[in-house]
Amino acid sequence: MAQTIIDAHNVSKTFNPKTVPVHAVQNVHVHIEEGEFVALVGPSGSGKSTLLNMMGGLDEPTAGSVIIDGVEITELSENKLIDFRLHNIGFVFQSFNLIPVLTAKENVGFVLQLQHMPKAEREKRVLTLLEEVGLEDKINSKPGELSGGQQQRVAVARALASKPKIILADEPTANLDSKSAANLLDIMAKLNKEEKITFLFSTHDQRVIKKARRVITLVDGKVASDVQQIPS
Amino acid sequence: MLLKLAWLNIWRNKRRTIITATSVFFAVLLAIIFRSLTDGVYDNMIHNVVSYSSGYLQIHQKGYWDEQSIDNTFEEDNQLYEELLKNPKVTHIMPRLETFALASYSEKTKGVLVLGIDPDKEKEVNNLHEKIVAGEYIEGINDNAVVLGEGLASQLKLKVNDTLVLLGQGYHASSAAAKFRVKGLVKLGAIELNNNVVYMPLQQSQAMHGAENRLTSVSVMLDKASNLEDLKHTLLKSIDADKYEVMSWKEMMPEMDQFIEADSTGHYIIIGVLYFIISFGLFGTLLMMVFERKHELGILIAIGMKKRLLALVLLLESIMISLIGCFTGVIAGILFIKWFTIHPIHLTGDLKQVYEDYGIESIIYLSSHEKIFIVQTLIVLILSILLAFYPGYKVMKLKPVEAINS
Repeated sequence: MAQTIIDAHNVSKTFNPKTVPVHAVQNVHVHIEEGEFVALVGPSGSGKSTLLNMMGGLDEPTAGSVIIDGVEITELSENKLIDFRLHNIGFVFQSFNLIPVLTAKENVGFVLQLQHMPKAEREKRVLTLLEEVGLEDKINSKPGELSGGQQQRVAVARALASKPKIILADEPTANLDSKSAANLLDIMAKLNKEEKITFLFSTHDQRVIKKARRVITLVDGKVASDVQQIPS
Repeated sequence: MLLKLAWLNIWRNKRRTIITATSVFFAVLLAIIFRSLTDGVYDNMIHNVVSYSSGYLQIHQKGYWDEQSIDNTFEEDNQLYEELLKNPKVTHIMPRLETFALASYSEKTKGVLVLGIDPDKEKEVNNLHEKIVAGEYIEGINDNAVVLGEGLASQLKLKVNDTLVLLGQGYHASSAAAKFRVKGLVKLGAIELNNNVVYMPLQQSQAMHGAENRLTSVSVMLDKASNLEDLKHTLLKSIDADKYEVMSWKEMMPEMDQFIEADSTGHYIIIGVLYFIISFGLFGTLLMMVFERKHELGILIAIGMKKRLLALVLLLESIMISLIGCFTGVIAGILFIKWFTIHPIHLTGDLKQVYEDYGIESIIYLSSHEKIFIVQTLIVLILSILLAFYPGYKVMKLKPVEAINS
């Protein structure tokens, strides 16, 4: 039986609580199990990115707690939280994910350097990852020399570098053409299936939603629906 | 990794980095030239003054400086001379018997400083013979003649070949009286000295004062003025410290040291203003580097880079930009000073006259003391570290979500 990997318990987030309060997320309970491929959907302003950020430890909830793989991250100090993210969570953002002055190889290896992985081992892993995302011929290219889709694939490789159990992706396909988006989603789906990595997307891209096995819909900061589906 | 990242980051906006580094370059170059020029002028002034008067260092019998009496003289000591001359930093030594006497000519009488000197040794150090404006320079230590400051001769209304009568106190309360032919007149830059000094061969002075083989001081000249304190400490250890005292020109002429200190303060303010101005440029660049990369900094924090490492990268960027400007400035400064060391500035016209009237060589030498370069490098380094604090603080306060969404 699969374990709960993310447990957002009664999570709320209110912006500007002292002036004009905006309740972005209200009393949300979400449990995500290991190996799930989940899309967090909803209209703009529904709170999906805010919830994703809180689940990734990038933002603090106003109330409630987030437990990832048994660790209550909302209780961690800032430095411990950064360390936790480094070792346990991979991130893919909408755009400009990469360090522009570094090559694809260096961008992927950066996370491993932060983990103090020895050079030889690091280089081997970086090459494997870039091969996995189909960019073995672009290892020495800088982000400016890569297409949007290729850049997102490098970002996925970087997110995978520390062998995380979870990858959180905030609108990863928003700026990609159909072919690049499909390619990226195929890679993610393959990783999910073969390596049992849990994927959680915040998106309103139908291409992503169709690939997901579970779709959580947020409306006005509350869970409106949470359905399992067969991906197409 | 951090070094490489910092280095690559500063070249993201080449034009801005080059402009910022260039401002540091010019500040460092100007500061070096300014310090080198003023230190060169001070060194030249000190050399000129001490070579006629105290020497850089002076050795006396212990207690002489507090009670400057002929009774506090010491016997000439060849061992002491050898000890001094074997030190490579010592270029010359000048034994002297320095006393005060009444000088009389015709109906005029005046208190004077009588300097018993070794004429040949003095000649080597201060070119006293070249300052003769009438008559001749004294030859050898037993020449029975004196050379007077031009101002003194004028006050006594005395000419070359006139006879000067000196009356003073000799060794152990004996009376010292003698008459001497005035062999020459010297024009000295130091007005005080020009109006009061009588140069006399050392043996004549010793004989007149009944102080055979006795000296009030041995003046020591150095290879470099900057070796002053080092040499003083070395000498204090190598000579008999119970018998002798070693004093530097700064202790013997504190007013000149204070003048240089006071004058330098003004220069420090000018250099301070220069660095203050370039600090704004550097600070602006650093702030821009944070604000325009806010999104990227947010991503780096999100993927697991600690904020203090990011602040360190910014600090390295600040140091790198500053040191590029600083090192090129130092290299240009060294080349500039090298050129003017080979081709010193010869003053002309009125300025030349003013310098010569004060007995200072009318050539501007630039100081190439390593301290000048080290100090400028340290100032720039410290500035770059201090200026990186605020951008570093901004990074420490960065919220990853806000930064990513910026």
